[in-house]
Amino acid sequence: MEYILKLLKPVTDFLGRILRVFNPPRIFSWQTLIYLSIFSWIMASISVGIISNLIGLCGWIFLILATAWYTTDNPLRVFGIPLGALITGALVSVFLFGGGRPETGLTVHSFVFWPTVTALITGIPEFIESGKGKLPSPDVRQRIIILIGVAAVISCWLQFYFVMQNWLQEFPTLQSDTFNRQGLVVRVGEPTTTPTNGIRILNQLDAAVKEELEDRPWSEVERWLIEGKQRVGSLSQEVIQDNLAKYDEKVLWRVQPRVTNLKPVKSGYNLELYAVWNGPSSDPRRYYLSKSCRITPISGGIPQKNSLARVSCSQVSRKPIRGLPPQQL
Amino acid sequence: MSYNTFPLGTILFNALFLLVAIAIESYVFHTRGRRLDKKASVAYATCVNLFANVLGWIIFFAIEPTLPVNVKTQLISFVFFNQLDSPDANFQSFIIMVGFLIFFATFLLKFGGLRLLEIALKYPLAEPEKINTLTINRRSYKTKLQSRNMATGVLLANSFSYSAILLILVLRSLEVRQIAG
Repeated sequence: MEYILKLLKPVTDFLGRILRVFNPPRIFSWQTLIYLSIFSWIMASISVGIISNLIGLCGWIFLILATAWYTTDNPLRVFGIPLGALITGALVSVFLFGGGRPETGLTVHSFVFWPTVTALITGIPEFIESGKGKLPSPDVRQRIIILIGVAAVISCWLQFYFVMQNWLQEFPTLQSDTFNRQGLVVRVGEPTTTPTNGIRILNQLDAAVKEELEDRPWSEVERWLIEGKQRVGSLSQEVIQDNLAKYDEKVLWRVQPRVTNLKPVKSGYNLELYAVWNGPSSDPRRYYLSKSCRITPISGGIPQKNSLARVSCSQVSRKPIRGLPPQQL
Repeated sequence: MSYNTFPLGTILFNALFLLVAIAIESYVFHTRGRRLDKKASVAYATCVNLFANVLGWIIFFAIEPTLPVNVKTQLISFVFFNQLDSPDANFQSFIIMVGFLIFFATFLLKFGGLRLLEIALKYPLAEPEKINTLTINRRSYKTKLQSRNMATGVLLANSFSYSAILLILVLRSLEVRQIAG
Protein backbone atom coordinates (compact mmCIF):
# COMPACT_ATOMS: atom_id res chain seq x y z
CA MET A 1 0.00 0.00 0.00
CA GLU A 2 2.66 2.48 1.06
CA TYR A 3 4.83 1.55 -1.85
CA ILE A 4 2.05 2.27 -4.30
CA LEU A 5 1.31 5.54 -2.59
CA LYS A 6 4.95 6.58 -2.75
CA LEU A 7 4.87 5.98 -6.48
CA LEU A 8 1.73 8.03 -6.82
CA LYS A 9 2.86 10.79 -4.50
CA PRO A 10 3.31 13.52 -7.10
CA VAL A 11 -0.07 12.75 -8.54
CA THR A 12 -1.80 12.63 -5.19
CA ASP A 13 -0.11 15.86 -4.10
CA PHE A 14 -1.38 17.66 -7.12
CA LEU A 15 -4.84 16.17 -6.92
CA GLY A 16 -4.91 16.68 -3.18
CA ARG A 17 -4.51 20.41 -3.63
CA ILE A 18 -7.42 20.47 -6.03
CA LEU A 19 -9.51 18.10 -3.98
CA ARG A 20 -9.00 20.03 -0.75
CA VAL A 21 -12.28 21.63 -1.71
CA PHE A 22 -13.92 18.30 -0.98
CA ASN A 23 -11.91 18.17 2.21
CA PRO A 24 -10.49 14.71 2.69
CA PRO A 25 -9.09 14.48 6.23
CA ARG A 26 -5.58 13.66 4.98
CA ILE A 27 -4.11 13.50 1.55
CA PHE A 28 -3.44 9.81 2.02
CA SER A 29 -6.95 8.70 2.72
CA TRP A 30 -9.48 6.51 1.07
CA GLN A 31 -11.42 9.54 -0.11
CA THR A 32 -8.45 10.56 -2.23
CA LEU A 33 -8.43 7.15 -3.85
CA ILE A 34 -12.15 7.38 -4.57
CA TYR A 35 -11.61 10.78 -6.17
CA LEU A 36 -8.72 9.36 -8.15
CA SER A 37 -10.86 6.54 -9.44
CA ILE A 38 -13.68 8.90 -10.38
CA PHE A 39 -11.15 11.13 -12.10
CA SER A 40 -9.71 8.12 -13.95
CA TRP A 41 -13.12 7.07 -15.15
CA ILE A 42 -13.93 10.52 -16.39
CA MET A 43 -10.63 10.59 -18.24
CA ALA A 44 -11.25 7.08 -19.57
CA SER A 45 -14.67 8.04 -20.85
CA ILE A 46 -13.31 10.93 -22.92
CA SER A 47 -10.35 9.02 -24.31
CA VAL A 48 -10.38 6.15 -26.78
CA GLY A 49 -8.70 2.83 -27.50
CA ILE A 50 -5.99 1.38 -25.35
CA ILE A 51 -5.47 4.65 -23.43
CA SER A 52 -9.07 4.52 -22.29
CA ASN A 53 -8.66 0.90 -21.17
CA LEU A 54 -5.47 1.72 -19.34
CA ILE A 55 -6.94 4.65 -17.45
CA GLY A 56 -10.05 2.61 -16.76
CA LEU A 57 -7.86 -0.08 -15.26
CA CYS A 58 -6.29 2.51 -12.94
CA GLY A 59 -9.80 3.59 -11.98
CA TRP A 60 -10.62 0.04 -10.96
CA ILE A 61 -7.45 -0.36 -8.95
CA PHE A 62 -8.04 2.92 -7.12
CA LEU A 63 -11.61 1.96 -6.37
CA ILE A 64 -10.62 -1.47 -5.04
CA LEU A 65 -7.85 -0.01 -2.89
CA ALA A 66 -10.17 2.68 -1.57
CA THR A 67 -12.80 0.12 -0.67
CA ALA A 68 -10.26 -2.14 0.98
CA TRP A 69 -8.87 0.83 2.92
CA TYR A 70 -12.25 2.09 4.04
CA THR A 71 -13.48 -1.32 5.09
CA THR A 72 -10.32 -2.17 7.02
CA ASP A 73 -10.67 1.12 8.88
CA ASN A 74 -14.28 0.36 9.76
CA PRO A 75 -14.55 -3.42 10.00
CA LEU A 76 -18.04 -4.81 10.21
CA ARG A 77 -18.13 -8.57 10.61
CA VAL A 78 -20.87 -11.00 9.62
CA PHE A 79 -20.26 -14.65 10.58
CA GLY A 80 -16.58 -13.92 11.06
CA ILE A 81 -16.24 -12.67 7.52
CA PRO A 82 -15.58 -8.96 7.41
CA LEU A 83 -18.35 -7.38 5.40
CA GLY A 84 -15.76 -5.17 3.78
CA ALA A 85 -14.11 -8.20 2.22
CA LEU A 86 -17.45 -9.08 0.63
CA ILE A 87 -17.66 -5.64 -0.95
CA THR A 88 -14.01 -5.62 -1.99
CA GLY A 89 -14.44 -9.19 -3.23
CA ALA A 90 -17.40 -8.13 -5.34
CA LEU A 91 -15.39 -5.30 -6.86
CA VAL A 92 -12.38 -7.50 -7.54
CA SER A 93 -14.42 -10.26 -9.15
CA VAL A 94 -16.35 -7.78 -11.30
CA PHE A 95 -12.99 -6.31 -12.25
CA LEU A 96 -11.36 -9.66 -12.99
CA PHE A 97 -14.24 -11.56 -14.59
CA GLY A 98 -16.52 -8.79 -15.82
CA GLY A 99 -14.20 -7.73 -18.60
CA GLY A 100 -12.61 -5.09 -16.39
CA ARG A 101 -14.93 -2.32 -17.47
CA PRO A 102 -17.89 -0.96 -15.59
CA GLU A 103 -20.18 -0.99 -18.62
CA THR A 104 -19.84 -4.76 -19.06
CA GLY A 105 -21.48 -5.04 -15.68
CA LEU A 106 -22.06 -8.32 -13.91
CA THR A 107 -21.22 -11.51 -15.71
CA VAL A 108 -21.94 -15.05 -14.59
CA HIS A 109 -18.27 -15.50 -13.78
CA SER A 110 -17.94 -12.45 -11.60
CA PHE A 111 -20.92 -13.69 -9.65
CA VAL A 112 -19.63 -17.26 -9.35
CA PHE A 113 -16.16 -16.28 -8.20
CA TRP A 114 -17.36 -13.70 -5.71
CA PRO A 115 -17.35 -15.98 -2.61
CA THR A 116 -13.94 -17.44 -3.42
CA VAL A 117 -12.39 -14.06 -4.12
CA THR A 118 -13.88 -12.75 -0.88
CA ALA A 119 -12.36 -15.62 1.09
CA LEU A 120 -8.98 -15.03 -0.54
CA ILE A 121 -9.16 -11.34 0.36
CA THR A 122 -10.12 -12.18 3.93
CA GLY A 123 -6.99 -14.30 4.14
CA ILE A 124 -4.59 -11.68 2.82
CA PRO A 125 -4.24 -9.57 6.02
CA GLU A 126 -3.01 -12.66 7.88
CA PHE A 127 0.01 -12.76 5.61
CA ILE A 128 0.89 -9.10 6.18
CA GLU A 129 2.22 -7.66 9.39
CA SER A 130 3.16 -3.99 9.56
CA GLY A 131 3.81 -3.79 5.86
CA LYS A 132 5.87 -6.96 5.64
CA GLY A 133 5.04 -10.44 4.55
CA LYS A 134 4.84 -13.12 7.22
CA LEU A 135 3.74 -16.69 7.49
CA PRO A 136 0.82 -17.08 9.86
CA SER A 137 0.75 -19.88 12.40
CA PRO A 138 -0.48 -23.33 11.31
CA ASP A 139 -3.77 -22.79 13.13
CA VAL A 140 -4.44 -19.60 11.22
CA ARG A 141 -3.36 -21.21 7.95
CA GLN A 142 -5.73 -24.07 8.60
CA ARG A 143 -8.58 -21.65 9.28
CA ILE A 144 -7.86 -19.78 6.05
CA ILE A 145 -7.76 -23.02 4.06
CA ILE A 146 -11.12 -24.13 5.44
CA LEU A 147 -12.65 -20.70 4.80
CA ILE A 148 -11.44 -20.72 1.21
CA GLY A 149 -12.65 -24.30 0.78
CA VAL A 150 -16.14 -23.47 2.02
CA ALA A 151 -16.25 -20.39 -0.20
CA ALA A 152 -15.13 -22.45 -3.20
CA VAL A 153 -17.90 -24.98 -2.56
CA ILE A 154 -20.42 -22.12 -2.50
CA SER A 155 -18.94 -20.89 -5.79
CA CYS A 156 -19.49 -24.36 -7.23
CA TRP A 157 -23.13 -24.30 -6.13
CA LEU A 158 -23.61 -20.95 -7.82
CA GLN A 159 -22.02 -22.32 -10.96
CA PHE A 160 -24.34 -25.33 -10.82
CA TYR A 161 -27.28 -22.95 -10.67
CA PHE A 162 -26.08 -21.41 -13.91
CA VAL A 163 -25.48 -24.83 -15.48
CA MET A 164 -29.08 -25.64 -14.65
CA GLN A 165 -30.33 -22.40 -16.20
CA ASN A 166 -28.38 -23.37 -19.29
CA TRP A 167 -30.15 -26.74 -19.37
CA LEU A 168 -33.51 -24.99 -19.18
CA GLN A 169 -32.51 -22.84 -22.13
CA GLU A 170 -31.30 -25.75 -24.20
CA PHE A 171 -34.27 -27.94 -23.27
CA PRO A 172 -37.10 -25.41 -22.89
CA THR A 173 -39.71 -28.17 -22.92
CA LEU A 174 -38.56 -29.03 -19.39
CA GLN A 175 -40.08 -25.76 -18.28
CA SER A 176 -43.57 -26.93 -19.08
CA ASP A 177 -43.25 -29.99 -16.88
CA THR A 178 -44.27 -30.17 -13.26
CA PHE A 179 -41.23 -30.84 -11.14
CA ASN A 180 -42.31 -33.27 -8.49
CA ARG A 181 -41.09 -32.46 -5.05
CA GLN A 182 -38.72 -35.42 -4.93
CA GLY A 183 -36.45 -33.75 -7.45
CA LEU A 184 -33.26 -31.99 -6.51
CA VAL A 185 -34.61 -28.59 -7.50
CA VAL A 186 -37.30 -26.22 -6.31
CA ARG A 187 -39.27 -23.96 -8.54
CA VAL A 188 -40.48 -20.50 -7.71
CA GLY A 189 -43.43 -19.21 -9.70
CA GLU A 190 -45.80 -20.70 -12.23
CA PRO A 191 -44.71 -23.15 -14.90
CA THR A 192 -45.65 -22.56 -18.51
CA THR A 193 -48.32 -25.12 -19.30
CA THR A 194 -47.58 -26.08 -22.87
CA PRO A 195 -44.33 -27.08 -24.54
CA THR A 196 -43.97 -24.25 -27.04
CA ASN A 197 -41.43 -26.06 -29.17
CA GLY A 198 -43.79 -28.98 -29.71
CA ILE A 199 -46.55 -26.61 -30.76
CA ARG A 200 -44.21 -24.82 -33.09
CA ILE A 201 -43.14 -28.09 -34.74
CA LEU A 202 -46.73 -29.12 -35.39
CA ASN A 203 -47.77 -25.70 -36.70
CA GLN A 204 -44.83 -25.52 -39.07
CA LEU A 205 -45.43 -29.10 -40.15
CA ASP A 206 -49.05 -28.25 -40.83
CA ALA A 207 -47.92 -25.47 -43.16
CA ALA A 208 -45.42 -27.78 -44.87
CA VAL A 209 -48.03 -30.51 -45.41
CA LYS A 210 -50.44 -27.95 -46.84
CA GLU A 211 -47.79 -26.74 -49.22
CA GLU A 212 -47.19 -30.30 -50.45
CA LEU A 213 -50.80 -31.43 -50.76
CA GLU A 214 -53.07 -28.48 -51.31
CA ASP A 215 -54.42 -28.18 -54.83
CA ARG A 216 -52.67 -31.36 -55.90
CA PRO A 217 -54.47 -34.02 -57.94
CA TRP A 218 -56.18 -36.58 -55.74
CA SER A 219 -54.21 -39.58 -57.04
CA GLU A 220 -50.96 -37.84 -56.14
CA VAL A 221 -52.28 -37.06 -52.69
CA GLU A 222 -53.22 -40.68 -52.12
CA ARG A 223 -49.79 -41.84 -53.15
CA TRP A 224 -48.27 -39.31 -50.76
CA LEU A 225 -50.44 -40.58 -47.92
CA ILE A 226 -49.49 -44.21 -48.58
CA GLU A 227 -45.89 -43.25 -47.97
CA GLY A 228 -47.09 -40.95 -45.17
CA LYS A 229 -44.59 -42.15 -42.63
CA GLN A 230 -41.52 -41.39 -44.74
CA ARG A 231 -42.99 -38.16 -46.16
CA VAL A 232 -43.98 -36.75 -42.80
CA GLY A 233 -40.73 -38.02 -41.34
CA SER A 234 -38.54 -36.09 -43.76
CA LEU A 235 -40.78 -33.00 -43.60
CA SER A 236 -40.60 -33.00 -39.82
CA GLN A 237 -36.81 -33.36 -39.95
CA GLU A 238 -36.68 -30.21 -42.04
CA VAL A 239 -39.10 -28.38 -39.79
CA ILE A 240 -37.14 -29.31 -36.67
CA GLN A 241 -33.86 -28.33 -38.30
CA ASP A 242 -35.30 -24.98 -39.35
CA ASN A 243 -37.03 -24.07 -36.12
CA LEU A 244 -35.19 -25.77 -33.29
CA ALA A 245 -31.64 -25.51 -34.56
CA LYS A 246 -30.49 -23.47 -31.59
CA TYR A 247 -31.84 -25.90 -29.00
CA ASP A 248 -30.19 -29.09 -27.81
CA GLU A 249 -33.62 -30.60 -27.39
CA LYS A 250 -34.12 -30.81 -31.16
CA VAL A 251 -33.14 -34.49 -31.14
CA LEU A 252 -35.70 -35.29 -28.47
CA TRP A 253 -38.80 -34.46 -30.50
CA ARG A 254 -40.10 -37.15 -32.81
CA VAL A 255 -43.02 -36.74 -35.17
CA GLN A 256 -45.18 -39.62 -36.26
CA PRO A 257 -48.26 -39.54 -38.49
CA ARG A 258 -51.37 -41.67 -38.60
CA VAL A 259 -53.66 -41.79 -41.60
CA THR A 260 -57.28 -42.88 -41.21
CA ASN A 261 -60.28 -42.87 -43.50
CA LEU A 262 -62.89 -40.21 -43.05
CA LYS A 263 -66.50 -41.19 -42.70
CA PRO A 264 -68.34 -41.73 -44.92
CA VAL A 265 -65.75 -44.09 -46.33
CA LYS A 266 -63.65 -42.77 -49.22
CA SER A 267 -64.80 -39.18 -48.81
CA GLY A 268 -61.27 -38.26 -47.75
CA TYR A 269 -58.56 -38.90 -45.19
CA ASN A 270 -57.66 -37.78 -41.74
CA LEU A 271 -53.97 -37.18 -41.16
CA GLU A 272 -53.04 -37.12 -37.49
CA LEU A 273 -49.71 -35.54 -36.64
CA TYR A 274 -48.16 -36.44 -33.31
CA ALA A 275 -45.16 -34.72 -31.79
CA VAL A 276 -43.73 -37.06 -29.15
CA TRP A 277 -41.45 -35.75 -26.42
CA ASN A 278 -38.68 -38.27 -25.89
CA GLY A 279 -36.81 -36.24 -23.33
CA PRO A 280 -36.86 -36.17 -19.54
CA SER A 281 -40.29 -35.89 -18.03
CA SER A 282 -41.79 -36.22 -14.58
CA ASP A 283 -43.99 -38.98 -15.98
CA PRO A 284 -41.95 -41.91 -17.33
CA ARG A 285 -44.83 -42.77 -19.72
CA ARG A 286 -43.87 -39.68 -21.79
CA TYR A 287 -46.37 -37.43 -23.52
CA TYR A 288 -47.24 -36.10 -26.94
CA LEU A 289 -49.09 -33.29 -28.68
CA SER A 290 -51.42 -33.88 -31.57
CA LYS A 291 -52.96 -32.06 -34.48
CA SER A 292 -55.32 -33.52 -37.02
CA CYS A 293 -55.70 -32.53 -40.64
CA ARG A 294 -58.65 -33.39 -42.87
CA ILE A 295 -57.71 -33.99 -46.46
CA THR A 296 -60.73 -33.76 -48.71
CA PRO A 297 -61.36 -33.01 -52.38
CA ILE A 298 -62.29 -29.41 -53.11
CA SER A 299 -65.41 -30.48 -54.97
CA GLY A 300 -66.69 -32.49 -52.02
CA GLY A 301 -68.31 -35.90 -52.14
CA ILE A 302 -66.46 -38.93 -53.52
CA PRO A 303 -63.14 -37.76 -54.98
CA GLN A 304 -62.42 -38.33 -58.65
CA LYS A 305 -58.96 -39.13 -60.05
CA ASN A 306 -58.38 -35.54 -61.08
CA SER A 307 -60.11 -33.61 -58.34
CA LEU A 308 -57.88 -31.33 -56.30
CA ALA A 309 -57.20 -31.76 -52.61
CA ARG A 310 -57.86 -29.41 -49.76
CA VAL A 311 -56.17 -29.62 -46.37
CA SER A 312 -57.70 -28.16 -43.23
CA CYS A 313 -56.07 -28.65 -39.86
CA SER A 314 -57.27 -28.26 -36.30
CA GLN A 315 -55.47 -26.49 -33.50
CA VAL A 316 -52.75 -28.30 -31.61
CA SER A 317 -54.13 -30.19 -28.62
CA ARG A 318 -54.22 -27.76 -25.74
CA LYS A 319 -52.65 -30.03 -23.19
CA PRO A 320 -50.00 -32.68 -23.62
CA ILE A 321 -51.47 -36.18 -23.79
CA ARG A 322 -49.89 -38.83 -21.53
CA GLY A 323 -48.49 -41.99 -23.01
CA LEU A 324 -47.53 -42.87 -26.55
CA PRO A 325 -49.67 -41.97 -29.57
CA PRO A 326 -51.68 -44.67 -31.37
CA GLN A 327 -49.76 -46.46 -34.10
CA GLN A 328 -50.68 -46.63 -37.74
CA LEU A 329 -52.78 -49.72 -38.34
CA MET B 1 -39.39 -15.83 -17.47
CA SER B 2 -42.18 -15.95 -14.98
CA TYR B 3 -40.56 -18.57 -12.80
CA ASN B 4 -37.19 -19.56 -11.55
CA THR B 5 -35.64 -22.84 -10.58
CA PHE B 6 -33.10 -23.22 -7.87
CA PRO B 7 -31.04 -26.35 -7.14
CA LEU B 8 -31.92 -26.30 -3.43
CA GLY B 9 -32.04 -30.08 -3.15
CA THR B 10 -28.67 -30.46 -4.80
CA ILE B 11 -27.10 -27.94 -2.44
CA LEU B 12 -28.66 -29.50 0.65
CA PHE B 13 -27.58 -33.00 -0.36
CA ASN B 14 -24.09 -31.80 -1.15
CA ALA B 15 -23.89 -30.16 2.27
CA LEU B 16 -25.29 -33.28 3.96
CA PHE B 17 -22.80 -35.56 2.19
CA LEU B 18 -19.95 -33.25 3.14
CA LEU B 19 -21.00 -33.27 6.79
CA VAL B 20 -21.42 -37.06 6.85
CA ALA B 21 -18.07 -37.60 5.14
CA ILE B 22 -16.27 -35.16 7.44
CA ALA B 23 -17.79 -36.75 10.55
CA ILE B 24 -16.95 -40.29 9.52
CA GLU B 25 -13.52 -39.55 8.13
CA SER B 26 -12.42 -37.50 11.11
CA TYR B 27 -13.45 -40.42 13.30
CA VAL B 28 -11.41 -42.78 11.13
CA PHE B 29 -8.42 -40.44 11.17
CA HIS B 30 -8.74 -40.22 14.93
CA THR B 31 -9.08 -43.90 15.72
CA ARG B 32 -7.08 -45.62 13.03
CA GLY B 33 -3.94 -45.15 11.06
CA ARG B 34 -1.98 -42.17 12.25
CA ARG B 35 -4.20 -41.54 15.26
CA LEU B 36 -4.44 -37.77 14.98
CA ASP B 37 -5.82 -35.84 17.93
CA LYS B 38 -9.49 -34.88 17.77
CA LYS B 39 -9.08 -31.29 16.63
CA ALA B 40 -6.53 -32.11 13.96
CA SER B 41 -8.51 -35.03 12.60
CA VAL B 42 -11.64 -32.89 12.18
CA ALA B 43 -9.62 -30.15 10.52
CA TYR B 44 -7.87 -32.58 8.20
CA ALA B 45 -11.09 -34.34 7.24
CA THR B 46 -12.76 -30.97 6.58
CA CYS B 47 -9.95 -29.65 4.40
CA VAL B 48 -9.55 -32.85 2.45
CA ASN B 49 -13.27 -33.26 1.81
CA LEU B 50 -13.76 -29.63 0.77
CA PHE B 51 -10.81 -30.00 -1.57
CA ALA B 52 -12.11 -33.22 -3.14
CA ASN B 53 -15.61 -31.78 -3.38
CA VAL B 54 -14.52 -28.61 -5.16
CA LEU B 55 -12.29 -30.50 -7.57
CA GLY B 56 -15.13 -32.93 -8.22
CA TRP B 57 -17.43 -30.04 -9.13
CA ILE B 58 -14.78 -28.51 -11.36
CA ILE B 59 -14.33 -31.81 -13.20
CA PHE B 60 -18.09 -32.03 -13.58
CA PHE B 61 -18.28 -28.49 -14.98
CA ALA B 62 -15.49 -29.32 -17.39
CA ILE B 63 -17.08 -32.55 -18.61
CA GLU B 64 -20.73 -31.49 -18.62
CA PRO B 65 -20.70 -29.44 -21.89
CA THR B 66 -19.08 -32.33 -23.77
CA LEU B 67 -21.57 -34.97 -22.67
CA PRO B 68 -23.59 -36.57 -25.48
CA VAL B 69 -27.25 -35.59 -25.45
CA ASN B 70 -28.50 -38.96 -24.24
CA VAL B 71 -26.25 -38.90 -21.17
CA LYS B 72 -27.12 -35.27 -20.55
CA THR B 73 -30.83 -36.01 -20.65
CA GLN B 74 -30.35 -38.77 -18.08
CA LEU B 75 -28.52 -36.33 -15.87
CA ILE B 76 -31.23 -33.72 -16.30
CA SER B 77 -33.88 -36.33 -15.66
CA PHE B 78 -32.16 -37.25 -12.43
CA VAL B 79 -31.70 -33.68 -11.24
CA PHE B 80 -35.17 -32.45 -12.18
CA PHE B 81 -37.33 -35.52 -11.77
CA ASN B 82 -35.21 -37.83 -9.62
CA GLN B 83 -35.43 -40.74 -12.02
CA LEU B 84 -33.38 -42.17 -14.80
CA ASP B 85 -35.14 -41.97 -18.10
CA SER B 86 -34.68 -45.36 -19.70
CA PRO B 87 -33.38 -47.91 -17.24
CA ASP B 88 -31.69 -50.13 -19.81
CA ALA B 89 -28.97 -52.47 -18.64
CA ASN B 90 -26.26 -50.78 -20.65
CA PHE B 91 -26.82 -47.47 -19.01
CA GLN B 92 -26.97 -49.00 -15.56
CA SER B 93 -23.62 -50.68 -15.99
CA PHE B 94 -22.30 -47.36 -17.27
CA ILE B 95 -23.51 -45.69 -14.07
CA ILE B 96 -21.89 -48.37 -11.94
CA MET B 97 -18.64 -47.90 -13.80
CA VAL B 98 -18.82 -44.13 -13.33
CA GLY B 99 -19.49 -44.62 -9.61
CA PHE B 100 -16.49 -46.92 -9.39
CA LEU B 101 -14.28 -44.37 -11.14
CA ILE B 102 -15.57 -41.58 -8.90
CA PHE B 103 -14.72 -43.59 -5.81
CA PHE B 104 -11.11 -44.09 -6.83
CA ALA B 105 -10.80 -40.57 -8.18
CA THR B 106 -11.95 -39.21 -4.80
CA PHE B 107 -9.52 -41.48 -3.04
CA LEU B 108 -6.66 -40.13 -5.14
CA LEU B 109 -7.87 -36.55 -4.68
CA LYS B 110 -8.12 -36.95 -0.93
CA PHE B 111 -4.72 -38.59 -0.74
CA GLY B 112 -3.20 -35.80 -2.84
CA GLY B 113 -5.13 -33.21 -0.84
CA LEU B 114 -3.74 -34.60 2.38
CA ARG B 115 -0.22 -34.38 1.02
CA LEU B 116 -0.81 -30.77 -0.06
CA LEU B 117 -2.30 -29.99 3.31
CA GLU B 118 0.77 -31.39 5.03
CA ILE B 119 2.94 -29.09 2.97
CA ALA B 120 0.64 -26.11 3.54
CA LEU B 121 0.57 -26.59 7.28
CA LYS B 122 4.27 -27.46 7.41
CA TYR B 123 3.98 -29.99 10.11
CA PRO B 124 4.04 -33.63 9.24
CA LEU B 125 0.97 -35.69 9.84
CA ALA B 126 3.05 -38.02 12.00
CA GLU B 127 6.76 -38.49 12.33
CA PRO B 128 7.95 -41.78 10.91
CA GLU B 129 8.30 -43.91 13.99
CA LYS B 130 11.82 -44.79 14.87
CA ILE B 131 12.38 -48.46 15.06
CA ASN B 132 13.46 -49.14 18.53
CA THR B 133 13.65 -52.84 19.07
CA LEU B 134 13.75 -52.46 22.81
CA THR B 135 10.46 -50.66 23.20
CA ILE B 136 8.45 -52.62 20.71
CA ASN B 137 5.57 -54.16 22.46
CA ARG B 138 2.58 -55.74 20.94
CA ARG B 139 0.49 -52.62 20.96
CA SER B 140 2.94 -50.27 19.35
CA TYR B 141 3.76 -52.91 16.80
CA LYS B 142 0.07 -53.12 15.97
CA THR B 143 -0.23 -49.36 15.68
CA LYS B 144 2.80 -49.29 13.47
CA LEU B 145 1.27 -51.83 11.16
CA GLN B 146 -1.93 -49.80 11.04
CA SER B 147 -0.18 -46.54 10.47
CA ARG B 148 2.10 -48.13 7.94
CA ASN B 149 0.87 -45.82 5.31
CA MET B 150 -1.39 -42.89 5.03
CA ALA B 151 -3.00 -44.32 1.91
CA THR B 152 -4.63 -47.16 3.84
CA GLY B 153 -6.15 -44.68 6.27
CA VAL B 154 -7.51 -42.49 3.50
CA LEU B 155 -8.83 -45.49 1.61
CA LEU B 156 -10.54 -46.76 4.72
CA ALA B 157 -12.02 -43.34 5.54
CA ASN B 158 -13.17 -42.91 1.97
CA SER B 159 -14.83 -46.34 1.90
CA PHE B 160 -16.68 -45.70 5.15
CA SER B 161 -17.97 -42.31 4.08
CA TYR B 162 -19.00 -43.60 0.65
CA SER B 163 -20.85 -46.49 2.26
CA ALA B 164 -22.74 -44.07 4.48
CA ILE B 165 -23.61 -41.81 1.56
CA LEU B 166 -24.70 -44.81 -0.50
CA LEU B 167 -26.92 -45.91 2.37
CA ILE B 168 -28.53 -42.46 2.49
CA LEU B 169 -29.12 -42.57 -1.28
CA VAL B 170 -30.67 -46.05 -1.11
CA LEU B 171 -32.96 -45.06 1.77
CA ARG B 172 -33.97 -41.96 -0.11
CA SER B 173 -34.75 -43.83 -3.31
CA LEU B 174 -36.85 -46.31 -1.32
CA GLU B 175 -38.77 -43.46 0.23
CA VAL B 176 -39.24 -41.72 -3.10
CA ARG B 177 -40.57 -44.93 -4.61
CA GLN B 178 -43.02 -45.25 -1.73
CA ILE B 179 -44.32 -41.72 -2.21
CA ALA B 180 -44.53 -42.13 -5.94
CA GLY B 181 -46.20 -45.56 -5.83
